[in-house]
Amino acid sequence: MKTARFADREIKGTPSSERSAALKRRYLDSPLMVDVEYIRWLTRSHRTTAGREILERRAEDHAFALEHLTPVIHAGDRIAGNKTRFIRGAIPYANYAAGPFLRELRREVQDAQQRHVDFGEGGGIERSRAEAAETGSVLFSGKFLISREELSELREICEYWEEKCLMEQGDRLWKSRFAGAEFIEDGWKIGLYTAPHDPCPEGRLVLDFETAVSKGYRSVIEEIDGRIARAGEGDQPGVPFWRAAKRSLEGALRFVERYADEADRLAAREPDPAREKELLEVAEACRRVPALPPRTFREAVQSFWFTYLLGHLEGSHLGYSPGRLDALLHPYFAADAGATFEEAVGLFEELFVKMTQIEYVASLSWQGLGHGNLYQNVILGGLDEAGKPASNEISMAILEAQVNMQMTQPTLSVWYDDSLDEAFLLKAAECVKTGVGYPAFFNLATFVRHERAVTGFPEGTIRRHAAIGGCTEPTLQGMSYGIVQAGFVNHGKLVDLLMNDGVDPVTGTRMFPAAPLGTYGDVVARYKEMMHAAVRNWQQYWNFVMRAHRQTVPLVFCSVFVRDCLGRGLCMDDGGALHNGTPTTLSSGLVNAANSLAAIRKLCFEDHTCTLEELRDAVARDWEGEEPLRRKALDAPKWGNDDDRVDEVFLDLFDDYCTFVPGQLNYLGKPYDPSMLAISTPVPFGKACGAFPDGRRAGEPLADGVTSPFPGTDARGPTGVIRSSSKVDHSRIRGGLLNLKFHPSSLGGERGSRNLLALVKTYFEKPGFHVQFNVVDSEMLRDAVEHPESYRDLVVRVAGFSAYWVEMSRPLQEQVIWRTEHGL
Amino acid sequence: MERERAESGLVFDFQPFSVHDGPGIRTTVFLKGCPLRCEWCCNPESQAPHPELRHRPARCRRCLACVRACPLGGAVEREGLPRFDRSVCAECPDRRCVEACPERALLVSGREMPVPEVVEAVMADEAFFRNSGGGVTFSGGEPLRQPRFLEAVLVALKSAGVRTAVETCGDADGASVDAVAPLLDLIYFDLKFADPELHRRHTGRTNELILENLARFVGAAPGKIVLRFPLVPGVNDDASNVQRIARIAAGLGIERASVVPYHPMGMSKYAELGRESPVDPRPVTAGDLERVFSAFEAAGVSCELA
Repeated sequence: MKTARFADREIKGTPSSERSAALKRRYLDSPLMVDVEYIRWLTRSHRTTAGREILERRAEDHAFALEHLTPVIHAGDRIAGNKTRFIRGAIPYANYAAGPFLRELRREVQDAQQRHVDFGEGGGIERSRAEAAETGSVLFSGKFLISREELSELREICEYWEEKCLMEQGDRLWKSRFAGAEFIEDGWKIGLYTAPHDPCPEGRLVLDFETAVSKGYRSVIEEIDGRIARAGEGDQPGVPFWRAAKRSLEGALRFVERYADEADRLAAREPDPAREKELLEVAEACRRVPALPPRTFREAVQSFWFTYLLGHLEGSHLGYSPGRLDALLHPYFAADAGATFEEAVGLFEELFVKMTQIEYVASLSWQGLGHGNLYQNVILGGLDEAGKPASNEISMAILEAQVNMQMTQPTLSVWYDDSLDEAFLLKAAECVKTGVGYPAFFNLATFVRHERAVTGFPEGTIRRHAAIGGCTEPTLQGMSYGIVQAGFVNHGKLVDLLMNDGVDPVTGTRMFPAAPLGTYGDVVARYKEMMHAAVRNWQQYWNFVMRAHRQTVPLVFCSVFVRDCLGRGLCMDDGGALHNGTPTTLSSGLVNAANSLAAIRKLCFEDHTCTLEELRDAVARDWEGEEPLRRKALDAPKWGNDDDRVDEVFLDLFDDYCTFVPGQLNYLGKPYDPSMLAISTPVPFGKACGAFPDGRRAGEPLADGVTSPFPGTDARGPTGVIRSSSKVDHSRIRGGLLNLKFHPSSLGGERGSRNLLALVKTYFEKPGFHVQFNVVDSEMLRDAVEHPESYRDLVVRVAGFSAYWVEMSRPLQEQVIWRTEHGL
Repeated sequence: MERERAESGLVFDFQPFSVHDGPGIRTTVFLKGCPLRCEWCCNPESQAPHPELRHRPARCRRCLACVRACPLGGAVEREGLPRFDRSVCAECPDRRCVEACPERALLVSGREMPVPEVVEAVMADEAFFRNSGGGVTFSGGEPLRQPRFLEAVLVALKSAGVRTAVETCGDADGASVDAVAPLLDLIYFDLKFADPELHRRHTGRTNELILENLARFVGAAPGKIVLRFPLVPGVNDDASNVQRIARIAAGLGIERASVVPYHPMGMSKYAELGRESPVDPRPVTAGDLERVFSAFEAAGVSCELA
């Protein structure tokens, strides 16, 4: 055994039972599969439903598919319901975007962004590849196995959807009718935008699980029947949606019933009496929920899971999330005299494996950007409607389960408030110190301010329903439309365009007419002008796409559990949600833009070290032969050091962005909400960009997160980073992301946990919005690059999600290693 | 060797989010200049009471920009590498070589910092101190060798409600102990050897003054002293030394000890300063720690890891 050259993680949990350990092992040893079953049945129905009203057609097709899916209960499962037949399975939603799949089948380039995106090769992906070579199955979309028969079926299905899918219908609209169409296509070519989001547009959505679980579907169906009866004969407003809603619930109940039958069938032939008993309990639970309210804690978990899963099946979601799972389930736990803390931990361990087992197959670009993670977010703690701390035993059980399992999903979050109890916060810190990077901490007070301004809802309502849908996007669960947005604008590319008079230096594409820059004021004005054009075009383009969404893939089942779609008789696409202001305009890379403008000001307009032309030439040569000038560029003020000379540049650009974005209405008629996030965009966005005036070299990743400094430029430690970041008014955006990376030794023991919590508390007093931690020795990560075989289950934080180290791409691994490590 | 200046101090490092030098989140200010020359010192740049040039070979790309920039002939090329004549560099007023280096391979340890600048820089993290029970720690070098500056900074920070600590080797004028003791909430007092001769052999000076000051601190700030023992394997970890130190602590009524295990992380800095590396002790093992802990605890002094 090698001697330890690095500090290990302080907390290393292990599964609480042999069952949980086996489930995790099975997950880690499984290849990734594409499962055509759902899309096969959906398509078969769609061939016969032409001419029907779109909501009813959509509900019928989806319900038909649900009624035909094979119910699969894997060995050891106590919670029934899977999205596919496989351990790690993905549904190819050809009804959303058939084009990328067809191009994959023809081995063609899918989109202009693909070359900027990198993929992981280890873990389950390696397994898929090896099995493809051994068994003659086909490797699809880089990492999924599919049999030859299913592949040819998939080809037929995709050909059927080629003209009919959301993406094609959307493209037709905007390409023929939108004046900025050329700008968008050029924007993709040069890396100003992330690839088209049509293959996985939905999510950032949390359903009203409280209603689904506590009332049960039967009572919801009765309510719908009543509404239809009251509306009377004729196509009254609301009736098509209600009929569709009812059909989707009936399909859902049939889906569940098939699981009950399957459990009975398995029980009948089960030799082990203990397992037989378990299977009979599964069958019994499936015959009870979600049709009726649960009688036990275990049935409540099962009921939640079915509704969660059924909503997941309907759409091509990223960021679709459970929300406040502790608040949802605690009443059932408290009322169930037979339920124990240990049982709860065990059930959550199983549940979290199930959530991690969901894969998605989309365009290669989005697979690369998401790194296989569906951004399922469970948020704990927070306050109740009256403002009392809401953490409970279930919050603790959920944390304990992830300390034990360290699955990549769900990512855990904490709604932070000073009044939360210490044991809960210390448990959260313990979980962070496993190195998995969650829970992330979110400041509830900041979100309440944001949401008050956007919705005008009472504070109590916001507190009660506050959740995170996806990575770091807050929303009001059960009452909001999801956050269905176009993807990201790349601030780094705007720096490229700024430096090159409107021309992309990498491809030579002209995006803006030339304009002289005489003063620093001109430089800033030019940046903002280009940013406005990039944002405005992006928003308008997406409004066209979402018109096509309404006509092709409206979400009916999900709408049933978003208030007040049923009351209004409208699906979410028609504005049925109480809150329609959630769609965001997203960007990332603003730190590099601010650093670049600050360097330009210092070098060209204050110190007169060089002219703007000389700086442009040095950057164009990627600093080759310009080391002295690059040194001065690096010495210019940098974000993350509490240095107003650059922090004010950031704040000015941030303010301008936040003011400009809501100037345009979204496709539901509400102002677009400004947001900034990262996922893994810093790597592909950086790859698309030339060198920057701040000293960054061409192709290097951008700063991660939203307010994280560029690696190595934060010289004043984590408190300096927090002081810079806390100058930002985070209540103006729906989102925010600050990564801090610590050496494990700097947060050791309970004393270290308390220091970590003190950092959070201080940042949130200022007030910040979000912070999360990588607590892992960079030397260990370097060792993991060399010896991936020893790190199969190592999970690290990337952005608003965590990933298995071995399944990350090399550049993304490097980016995490590269982040400034504090402490020691 | 004591600096008389009150309005500014010679600081060689400033470390926010310091979590090993006292409770909570702290800012540690490292003052330059130390009377001792401990063989194992991991901060050799802390010793000389004047600014010093450091050349970090790991960063150097051998471009020799420093040699070209030097007007005094202090930097010269030898076998493709820059070499520095430290006696020339010590007198250099403007360090053009540092400015010229594109790789930041050159730096100067030690900067004159006015009292208000230090106070302002520390106060920037006041909220973190408040929420974590932290504060400021003055370390070194030997902070008590800049007593008037230290006193001025402590007065300002104390009056702003910041909790204060020092790490001292105790080799300082007794009057400076009297001056700063009332301004401190916590004193980490280093004791390396109980025996004066061993102390002289391994640190360059005997410990009489040090032991005198330890008693003086106990008198002036009772209950605020933590005895610090730097555990250097094979040098000062023999049973008799540890037991004697523990008994000295117990005899003075000191209730807490803190053990700082030797680490080799500072060794590369000797070469950066143009100095020979001292003998490198072996790494500290869990067994070493256990022995030292039980010796302190046997004397009735509770012991913790720094």
